[in-house]
Amino acid sequence: MPVKSALPPSSQLPACPVQHLPLGLSSVQTNDRTHSRRNMDSFTSVEPDFVLTHAPQAKVLMVGAGGIGCELLKNLVLSGYGEVHIVDLDTIDLSNLNRQFLFRYEHIKKSKALVAKEAAQVFNPNTTIVAHHANIKDAQFNIEWFRGFTIVFNALDNLDARRHVNKMCLAADVPLIESGTTGFNGQVQVIKKGVTACYDCTTKETPKSFPVCTIRSTPSQPIHCIVWGKSYLLNEIFGVSEDESAFDHSEDADNANEIAELKKEADALRKIRDSVGTEEFPQLLFDKVFNADITRLRSMEDMWKSRTAPEPLEYKTLKEEAPVVDEAFLQNDQKVWSLAENLAVLNDSLDRLSKRKAELIKETKGNSEPPAITFDKDDPDTLDFVAAAANIRSYIFGIEKKSRFDIKQMAGNIIPAIATTNAIVAGLCVLESFKVLKGEYEKAKEVFLTPAGLQRLLAPDRPRRPDPNCPVCSVYRLIVYVDLAYATLDDLINGFVRKQLGYGSKDLAVSTEAGVVYDSEEEDNLPKKLRELGIGQDSFITVVDEDDDDTFVNVILSIHQATEPLGDKHIKDLEPDKAPEIPRKPKKVPAVESVVASQTNGKTHALDEDPNDGNNKDLKRARQDDSEIVRLPKRLKTTTQSRGDDVVIVDDESGTGAIVIDD
Amino acid sequence: MTEIVTSQTPPILHGPSEKEKKYDRQLRLWAASGQAALESANILLVNSGAGTVGVETLKNLVLPGIGKFTIVDDAIVSETDLGVNFFLDESCLGKLRSQCCAELLQELNPDAQGDWYPKEKASVNLGQILDSMPMYTLIMYTLPIRPEDLAAIKTYGRKHQTPLISIHSAGFYSYFQINLPGAFPIVDTHPEVEKTVDLRLLHPWPELVKFSQEMTKDIDSASDHDHGHLPYVVILLHYLEKWKEGNGGEYPTEYKAKMAFRKMVSEMARTNNPEGGEENFQEAVSAVNRNVKKPQLEQSLEEVFDHKLSNEVEMSSSFWMIARAMKKFYQKNGCLPLPGGLPDMKAQSSVYVKLQSIYKAKARKDALEVLETVRSSPGGKDVDPAEVDMFCKNASFVKLVNATAEGRDFKQILQQEKQNDELAEAIGTPLSLLPIYLALSATSHKPLASADEIKADIVGIWPDVADDMRVMQSSEEVARAGGGELHNISALTGGMVAQEAIKIITKQYIPIDNTCIFDGISSRCQVLRL
Repeated sequence: MPVKSALPPSSQLPACPVQHLPLGLSSVQTNDRTHSRRNMDSFTSVEPDFVLTHAPQAKVLMVGAGGIGCELLKNLVLSGYGEVHIVDLDTIDLSNLNRQFLFRYEHIKKSKALVAKEAAQVFNPNTTIVAHHANIKDAQFNIEWFRGFTIVFNALDNLDARRHVNKMCLAADVPLIESGTTGFNGQVQVIKKGVTACYDCTTKETPKSFPVCTIRSTPSQPIHCIVWGKSYLLNEIFGVSEDESAFDHSEDADNANEIAELKKEADALRKIRDSVGTEEFPQLLFDKVFNADITRLRSMEDMWKSRTAPEPLEYKTLKEEAPVVDEAFLQNDQKVWSLAENLAVLNDSLDRLSKRKAELIKETKGNSEPPAITFDKDDPDTLDFVAAAANIRSYIFGIEKKSRFDIKQMAGNIIPAIATTNAIVAGLCVLESFKVLKGEYEKAKEVFLTPAGLQRLLAPDRPRRPDPNCPVCSVYRLIVYVDLAYATLDDLINGFVRKQLGYGSKDLAVSTEAGVVYDSEEEDNLPKKLRELGIGQDSFITVVDEDDDDTFVNVILSIHQATEPLGDKHIKDLEPDKAPEIPRKPKKVPAVESVVASQTNGKTHALDEDPNDGNNKDLKRARQDDSEIVRLPKRLKTTTQSRGDDVVIVDDESGTGAIVIDD
Repeated sequence: MTEIVTSQTPPILHGPSEKEKKYDRQLRLWAASGQAALESANILLVNSGAGTVGVETLKNLVLPGIGKFTIVDDAIVSETDLGVNFFLDESCLGKLRSQCCAELLQELNPDAQGDWYPKEKASVNLGQILDSMPMYTLIMYTLPIRPEDLAAIKTYGRKHQTPLISIHSAGFYSYFQINLPGAFPIVDTHPEVEKTVDLRLLHPWPELVKFSQEMTKDIDSASDHDHGHLPYVVILLHYLEKWKEGNGGEYPTEYKAKMAFRKMVSEMARTNNPEGGEENFQEAVSAVNRNVKKPQLEQSLEEVFDHKLSNEVEMSSSFWMIARAMKKFYQKNGCLPLPGGLPDMKAQSSVYVKLQSIYKAKARKDALEVLETVRSSPGGKDVDPAEVDMFCKNASFVKLVNATAEGRDFKQILQQEKQNDELAEAIGTPLSLLPIYLALSATSHKPLASADEIKADIVGIWPDVADDMRVMQSSEEVARAGGGELHNISALTGGMVAQEAIKIITKQYIPIDNTCIFDGISSRCQVLRL
């Protein structure tokens, strides 16, 4: 490989949208901020036409207006991008203000997207900013809509939305610039269909869940008690039901008796729930979970052969020692409370939560089930409840108690977030966008912030290639125009997939996002209309070739309502002679189709753990040849949280979040 | 922005809880002690040149809550500023850039206090202003800058022992350079947790030996349950003694001996169970490589021990008093104070808790010994025991940044980088970014220099680079920028500078030493000690 200069000749300069780049100290300027003629010319003399026309004409989408988003929006506006759309469903929280500089104290609880637009618009009237206070997964943001953008920027904080945007950008074939931060760590990646690896080409770390028995019967670490307080107790009393995702049921069969007992326990607890708000409630609850249940557990002698048996607590004795908790007491986050103090906090939070519950019931006037109170790390009532309950349980099991500050981090899976990292990552995103704008994917970089590597700080790597076995990007995508009023599954499979796509008599399985609707053993759905199977406008349908030889890669069909009459076939034929050339799967590794988008956040970059040996070798060789290659951080987590605050591994607010230990 | 500003009534946050809530996500990085350091910091920005990178840096310090900042800048806001500086809009035209930026930055965080100079449109005499100003925690200045201003800053820095950071951003390039006023010790370096485990297996103390011996005296006849629940620390201590008996009193410290020792331990696991082995023995085997080691002095701490105190500030600093006491402790005991942490391991809870308390008690005892030495030394009476504890806990990871003032032979660095590049070209690794630094430095005082002037300037000082193509290319790019900043490059650079500034202010994590050069074309940076 020829040696590359670190500094490319001028013609290799990234495209720089000059029209709005004020480059000079002594430059000519006009009121409409087309600045600095002298320097503009010098910087872009190479291809003035390109830069003058492209950036202002580019229409870009920024998903997420949080930590990276605020910084990114500022940079995009000041780099002269013509039109920027912002999508964010979140509102502003106090804990955002240490870095999300477009927001102020008086904006708390307002829409991030709208406030960000207002604040940034002033700085370049030539940029059109469009704000959508909405969920990026909403139906309105369909493939057609995505296709309208030159570049999409992910400034997200959760895995679910990241995966969704990744999928949409692949389907729409729009380049995506993906980014994330965790504390001092960060990462930027350019994703272009068929050219670079997609977000799902590397397996993302899934949150850790715990066996039911560890949480409910044999806790041995503080986190076990915290999960118990958050996912079991809080939900049983104030929520809907047990937060199932926090539990790993794989060992249930081995502990069938204990599982049955635990079910009874939970049922009994639900009965106590009816007395929420009464004076007796705190003691009823305490006697149940910190005495009766513990006594039962203690009686299971086998369980305590190799563990210290738990000690049930007496409410009355403890209550006498419990101090009065006031505002000042509750403000000290760092102190580890004594047992009696924990009881005082528990009762105090029970009082606050009970009142809130009563309000909720009053509001719904018995017309419907009142909304559940779910854990939110920034909601002091639920946090106090979980902290105190977890600590009392820890005490019972001889486990170290924790301060509320620590419990908040463990229960909320808080990942640190600061302004500096966001500034660096957002700046890198825009640098990559110049290359994307110019179509120079070969010059794009996947950049890691490596705070531990003091000699480097930034580690740019050549972009990885798509994984040929990736279930998301190494698929063949096709839009199918369908008359949804009449089309049946038979029309789709036998009329279109087999005849038009060339599957012929292949063994195949067809699934929607809800599951398999057709395979060699399941043909009952064939006469059903697509609609009856939940397939409608913008649905995705996956066709998996189950033959062992000459296997097609998975085909993902996007369903669109046809605008013209289609006659008896109900599905629009492909243009004659334009039968698609569906690529074949690589031989050895069977592709696994996963349609699920689990409710987890975060991503792990795990190049070294690439399961595909052949591919991996290839990559390694390629890297040695790369002039820009530097050591890759072995495991770099860039996780961000679902709503409100930047970074977390688990989506708590959704109530389905599993628990992660970041160890 | 003006609208937002005028409609604002930003309340100062009251009470620890509101503040903790606002700073929650960063407190998890540098804790209350780091936050307190930020809040008592007083930062000066001499905002010269195009002025964006300085303000972007300051933004990233105001957001996390520095106490005070001052901007010195006599520029008047012109059209040029508007498109590149996010904190200025049309209503600022014709006004003092220092004032406009300070007021807008202040809006970002009502907890921070902003000030600016000059108060009225006039050129500033920086030397005069600095003389009349309070003590600064840190001074940042942006290039290009007037030579007399630079001289004034350097004089002030020397006189008051103030850390300085210079920042230069032009076109797609930037660099920043940290100049610390002498050796800069950091105790709270935040090492990786796994690295901090110190079990002292080859240097056990009497209480640990006694505990271990009692647990293992009947090891062979112990019930399967007890045998399977021996903590691995105890297992290793037991078999290390056995090993010594069979190896002339020597511990297995060499690789080969360690392998043999691992084998010995793994063979002692009982296999008459459904799992065919014991988890605690597996833990013991896998702990051998990392934990069976002689106490060793890290090079970074050796530098601390060898450091000669050079001035009064150092003489009276508690850090150096503790460091001296630490050295005495090491000379006397042959090892550092025990950090005291015990990792998770398979064991009965009660046994684990006991073992944990043995480690903690020893750590307390060691820390007390150091504290007593400190207290008995001149001026050591007022040293905070918490500081001693922190030092003891982190002893192996204490770092002296900028340990020696000398040893910066630029010519040698140039040659070294050139040699590296020859190798790099052969194997295809990235080339040095030093040419970028050279080209930017040549415009430190004259932003509008032509490529030829820049080249002439560089070659004038370093004749060796006369035929270096990359120096030529860098010069051309810098000339093309004409002293202008790209907002995006300056914003990114501002992020990096603020990150290092926070490390210096909080004295946590290790700041770079000392120059970071950024190339926005390859999204790459290089750190060099220049």
